[in-house]
Parts: sequence; structure tokens; C-alpha cells
Amino acid sequence: MHLRLGLTAALGVLAVVAAPVAAYASVGVGVQAGPVQLAGVAHPGGTYELPAVYVVNTGTEPESVAIRIERISRGTGRTVPGAWIQVSGLPSSLAHGQSARIPLSLVVPASARPGQYFSDVVVTGSAALVAGGAHLGVAAATDLEFRVVPGVISAGWFTMPSWVLLAVGVVLAFALGVVLLIRSGISIRVERATAGAAAGNGGGGGD
Amino acid sequence: MGIKVRSVSLAVAGVILAGSVVAGCGLTGAPPNAGQSASVNLSLTTVPTVRSVTVSPASVTFGNCTGGLASQNTHSTAGKLGFPNGHCLVGLVNPGFYPITVTNTGIASAIYVNGSSANPFDDGNQWSLCNQDGDGAEKCKRDDGRLPGTDQYMVENFSAVGEQKAGIRGTPSCDLEFGASGNCLAVQGGSQGEGIELIGPFFSTDTSTKWTMTITWTPVPGNG
Repeated sequence: MHLRLGLTAALGVLAVVAAPVAAYASVGVGVQAGPVQLAGVAHPGGTYELPAVYVVNTGTEPESVAIRIERISRGTGRTVPGAWIQVSGLPSSLAHGQSARIPLSLVVPASARPGQYFSDVVVTGSAALVAGGAHLGVAAATDLEFRVVPGVISAGWFTMPSWVLLAVGVVLAFALGVVLLIRSGISIRVERATAGAAAGNGGGGGD
Repeated sequence: MGIKVRSVSLAVAGVILAGSVVAGCGLTGAPPNAGQSASVNLSLTTVPTVRSVTVSPASVTFGNCTGGLASQNTHSTAGKLGFPNGHCLVGLVNPGFYPITVTNTGIASAIYVNGSSANPFDDGNQWSLCNQDGDGAEKCKRDDGRLPGTDQYMVENFSAVGEQKAGIRGTPSCDLEFGASGNCLAVQGGSQGEGIELIGPFFSTDTSTKWTMTITWTPVPGNG
């Protein structure tokens, strides 16, 4: 009897304590306030790495994030087609207060029209809350800006890995060195002396 | 004699060039007699530069459902939406009760809101979000846009500021219920209590009795 009363009391206390926790649970998401901008200009047909975008879970619950490109805020320029931006490295889940930097790539089709482009990077927190059939969602937006100008794609050389450039430099330097060596007229002669000849030479020296 | 000296010089230059590239692309090092450097470490703290929002609490429920046709046994019950064009609430318009708290936890931003289509649990036909003007969503098909048609539904959010009678959009737009001065600008820490009113379709072609939809709040750059 006493055990049953104690258990009931304990459950009651647990319910009272747990209720406020559930009531104050929240969903939240944040994104860097600074715009995502391409350093330099883009050319039609080129692929460029954009600065990684900072996202953070500001809610109390674990949540996953998704990123889409949509023009929401006011700005000048053509609207960025969503297909031009590729998102990689999305974390499967962000804990409360956890942040991440999400890499973005800009893929400009060859048919892109030159000009200034503007849209928003919209980060959506997917830890939706069920509200009797309605989910309460959160998102946060920051500007996305870049400029497309006509011209050849120069990014290919500059995005080449540094070790490739170093290897090419070494080969060219060796080739230059060899050419200079040949033009100097100095020749290197390699001779092979047999053991018998060496002995004969030694004996002749002994006279 | 002159040719020989030139040849030797060229050879030495070639060897030095090749050798220096292999050794690390040039000679480095501090100049002789250089003075010792001194430095001081500085630290600086800045204000946060994150744009963020939170919505709480975690659990609210549609209730106070009204409307529908009793003669066809499709009238609303307390927690179930009826047809045609039943209404359900999260919170109360009068007297005001606004159980959803939207807080701008980042830098000053404009707070936008948008809705989505409603999806049945059986993955059948959706209800499209509609509003009175057909702006950012379908135009509601009944009563000159004031009531949803078949497979349409409308969401109005309300707060102490007022009620968005025209219905929220499917694309993010300024949440006029957020700012007291008719805009949606929120400074850091600014919050608003809100409620939701859902007006259901004239008729649903999908027979599912469980539906989900999403209402999303988004802080965006700008002044609302």
C-alpha cells in the first residue's frame, strides 16, 4: 500500500517536473548574417567554390538542416537559379547549439547571361514540431551575390592543385638546366675499366 | 679562353637553378644582423553576426473547431475539422490567446512567414494553400477568394496586433502580425505571441482523416 502511494507520488512529481521542460522546448535555426559572395567574377561555363555558409541550431531540440536558394529579401540583379548552387557536406543532424559550415559550389551554365545575380541562401531547420497536425518550422536567410561576365574560364588554372604546379616547375627547371649544360660544351664521359686492365696499369706503374 | 669561361658559367647557372627548385624554390632566411622581433597578443570580442529565430513551445494543438454541415454528419467536433470550410484554431482570437512564441534570437531582421500544402497521411491528394488575393499561393475558389474550394485550405495567423485575414502565402512574406507598427522588423530578442486559424476545404477528394502542414517563420535581411 505504502509502495503504491510512493510510486504514485513519484510519478506525480515527475509529471510536474517534466511538463515545463516540454513546454519550453523550441525549434530554431540561424545562419551567418554576412552575405555569401564570390571572390572575383564568374564566367559562363565555370565552376567556383563559394565561401562555406555558417549554420547553427538555436533551438532546444536536435534537428537536421536543409539549404535552398530562393529570392526573398530585396536586392538588385538577376535571380539565381537554384540549380546553379550545389550543396555538399550537410550534417545529418545538429544538436542544440551546434554549428556547421556548409560548402557551396556555383556552377554557371555556358548559356548564362552576364550581369549581377542576387538571391538568398535559405537554411531550414527540419526538427518540425507537431501542432495537432501543423508543423511549426523555422528558417533563416542570408544574401547570395555574384557577378557573371563574358570571357574565358580562367579559374581552371588557378584551381589546379599546388602540387601539380610544383611538379611542372621542377620539370621545366631541370629541362632548362640540361639545355644550359649542353650549350656550355662541357661533356661528361663515363668509362668502364676492367679489372685486368686496372691490374696491368698498376704493374706498369711499379717499374 | 673566353668561350670556355662562358660555358662554365652557363653550366654553373643551370645546376644552381635546377638545384634551387628541387630544394624548395629558392633561398630563404633572415638577413644577417637582423634584430629580434617582439609582439603582443591582443584579443577582441565582437557582437554576434548570426540571423536566427526560434519558435516555441514544442507542442500545441488545433482545437475549437467549428463549421461544417450537421445535416451531412460532416460538422466539426472540438478537435476535428468539418466540411465544408470548417475552422480550427491554435490559440484564441477573442479573448486573445497566442500560444506560439516567435523570437528573433539573432541580429535585427525582418520576420517572414509562409505556409505549405497540406499532406494526408495516406500520401494521396494534397490540399493546396490558398489566400484571398492569390498572391504567393493559389487564389481561394469560393466566395470571391474568402473561402477555400475543393482541396484548398487557408491559414490565417493572428496576434495582439491583429489577424492576417487574407491568408498567409506559400512563399515567405512579411509577417505583419509580428510588428506593432505594421511592419515585421524585429530587433534581437524581439518576440511575438501568435495563434493560427485554419479554414479547411469545401470538400476533400482524399479521404484521409490525418493531415500535416508546415508554417515557417524566417528572419531575412532588410527592414521589413
